[in-house]
Amino acid sequence: MKTKKGFMLRSVANRHVVVAVGQASVDFNGLITLNDTGAFIWKKLSEGCTYDELLADMLKEYEVDEATAREGIDAFLEKARGAELIED
Amino acid sequence: MKYNIAGIIVDMNIRFPRLTMQSADYKCSDDDAANVKIRLTPEFYEQKLIENPHLDYEMIEYIWMGAEFYNALVHFDGMLLHSSCVVYNNEAYLFSAPCGTGKSTHTQLWLKRFEGAYILNDDKPAIRITENGVYAYGTPFSGKTNLNVNKGVPIKGICVLERDTYNHIEPIDPDEALFSILNQTVRPVNEEDMDKMLSTLDKVLRSVPVYRLYCNMELDAPETAYNGMNKSTDSK
Repeated sequence: MKTKKGFMLRSVANRHVVVAVGQASVDFNGLITLNDTGAFIWKKLSEGCTYDELLADMLKEYEVDEATAREGIDAFLEKARGAELIED
Repeated sequence: MKYNIAGIIVDMNIRFPRLTMQSADYKCSDDDAANVKIRLTPEFYEQKLIENPHLDYEMIEYIWMGAEFYNALVHFDGMLLHSSCVVYNNEAYLFSAPCGTGKSTHTQLWLKRFEGAYILNDDKPAIRITENGVYAYGTPFSGKTNLNVNKGVPIKGICVLERDTYNHIEPIDPDEALFSILNQTVRPVNEEDMDKMLSTLDKVLRSVPVYRLYCNMELDAPETAYNGMNKSTDSK
């Protein structure tokens, strides 16, 4: 899994924001804000990773059990896929 | 011909009356080294005229010289905020909103209400991070009204403006401030410039308070805005 080309995550005024550049900005002129966990997941996805790698990284980074981590990742992926921000 | 706009030396080949007139106050010495060179070619004008038959040469020059200037601005710790900017007591107040909300109408009320107030730029002030803080600048690109002054003034506050039946003002949530400002600026298309713009925006939002002003068109409105933007800095 990987975030779509042309979407970039930056920190502005202590907020994590995702904006589009290049070709992607033709279709997406909005702004996405993420919380800390969302930004963590986004960073991993922007480098490209499998679901299991993402899950392992989440468990390493946060003190949560596997079920909770899966729930968080699934919710994120559902939203991000819905907005067509992820390429498989 | 060279012009000093927002402290940036811009070399522009202006041909038509409108921009010649609007940029007259910004002319600087030809000996100054240009930071930015903008050239619109005859072919460019012809192309734009085909794409936009409702425009004329004069408007094409005004629009695309301006666009090139604001694109270049991100390389100088700067950005555009689509807003009407009024100065009072040497402090700049910016009122941002989509077209037709009443930005200019509101700042015109400031001129009536506060003696000595003036419009720095009625439509597209340049914002720059300077050694002395965050400044707003007049530019020759000020919209329909040609209301602009060649000056830089420290920014006191930014208001996102909304119409309402009565006047009130409140600090804006940082997420909303981001949305509103990113919707009222030009977003660079390439990643490097976008990076620069977001870094400038980051600095702006860290030092300039942003509010939402709900206002009508009475003389109370500038008073509510002024008091709201001066109260919070006093208590800091």
